[in-house]
Amino acid sequence: MLGSILSQYARSLAVFAAFLLMVLVESLGIREAIYPGLESFFNWMNQSSWLGVIGTTYGSVYATVEALHLLSMAVLGGTVLATDLRLLGIICKDVPSETLVTGTHKCFRWALLMAILTGIFCAAGVANKVYFMEVFWIKMLVLITGSCFMLFIKQPLLTSRPHAQINPWTIRLLAVTSMLIWFTVAATGRWIGFS
Amino acid sequence: MINELLLQFAHWMEAQEYSQMLVAGYYSYSWLEATHVLTLMVSIGSLFIIDFRMLGWVMPNVPATTIAARLHKPMIIGFVIMFITGALLVYAKPVETIQSLWFRMKMILLLLAFINAWVFNNRLKSAEGNWDNDPVAPGPLRTGAIISLVLWCGVVTLGRYIPYDWVDCTNTTNTTILWAAGCVDQLNAL
Repeated sequence: MLGSILSQYARSLAVFAAFLLMVLVESLGIREAIYPGLESFFNWMNQSSWLGVIGTTYGSVYATVEALHLLSMAVLGGTVLATDLRLLGIICKDVPSETLVTGTHKCFRWALLMAILTGIFCAAGVANKVYFMEVFWIKMLVLITGSCFMLFIKQPLLTSRPHAQINPWTIRLLAVTSMLIWFTVAATGRWIGFS
Repeated sequence: MINELLLQFAHWMEAQEYSQMLVAGYYSYSWLEATHVLTLMVSIGSLFIIDFRMLGWVMPNVPATTIAARLHKPMIIGFVIMFITGALLVYAKPVETIQSLWFRMKMILLLLAFINAWVFNNRLKSAEGNWDNDPVAPGPLRTGAIISLVLWCGVVTLGRYIPYDWVDCTNTTNTTILWAAGCVDQLNAL
């Protein structure tokens, strides 16, 4: 009985378990124990890896990849906003929300992949600095949360059945959560530049 | 002549109390810049979805004009915020910005992007027939979408170059670059 109920929410439970794991990692001091060991990896990223060497040697390449990162974030944000504002009933009211959710998801995944790849390059160029930035770690945490949320909760739920069969408040909650998560990812990314 | 006038105007702006306040404030300039960049998601994000639809890359089963019409409003809101924050960013650092080669190139691309948007809108309105439900828009509209994508990618890239000082007035002696960037003092000193 319990197993059949839980199996319906396998993905949500997995994400919740991951969240719980992060809380445990933080509260049991595991992060503090791991953190110093990561410094050598970040220094290697910056000074020895080819990504870091290119990023620190060729300023124009670094700036161009930064621009690509911005563009991919713009596309990602565009797809998220278009979908979530439709789910909230603010725009595209005459387009079925199911069509918009499935129609923009491929674009979202490509934009996310591009943002992650260019983001790794950008981080490698300043790895010895971002390691010490609290905002960088917050961004990483929110990025992982956002990706899991999109791929394992929001998209599976919204494509599993017609939206008319889903509680409207669940849909609204999904849309608002999604916008908040991706806004935080973008805003913390911008703040890394100022820190 | 035009460079001298622009520099005078920039010096006048720089002397304004509010211009100095924007730079001197601990967070004001950062907030402006962050808003300018984050609004990319609304403006260029919406614009790219429209362009992608014309090319048949997203939602080919939704009428192209419907997507264009429905995303028009958020796109315009995004662009208005971007222009206001962009103008304030120039107002905060007028001399540095007006003498930036990247900023000048960005403005040229922006102008071209607006001309393209105007032509694209006219073509969209005058396009007749039942292509609206086709997965891919007719040739002229696809061309307009590709030009739009290229121009806006250029605008964002050049905007990203502005903080870098590779071709700042003090870092180059190339007269063509100095003229194009409007480095009046450096040109006079040569």
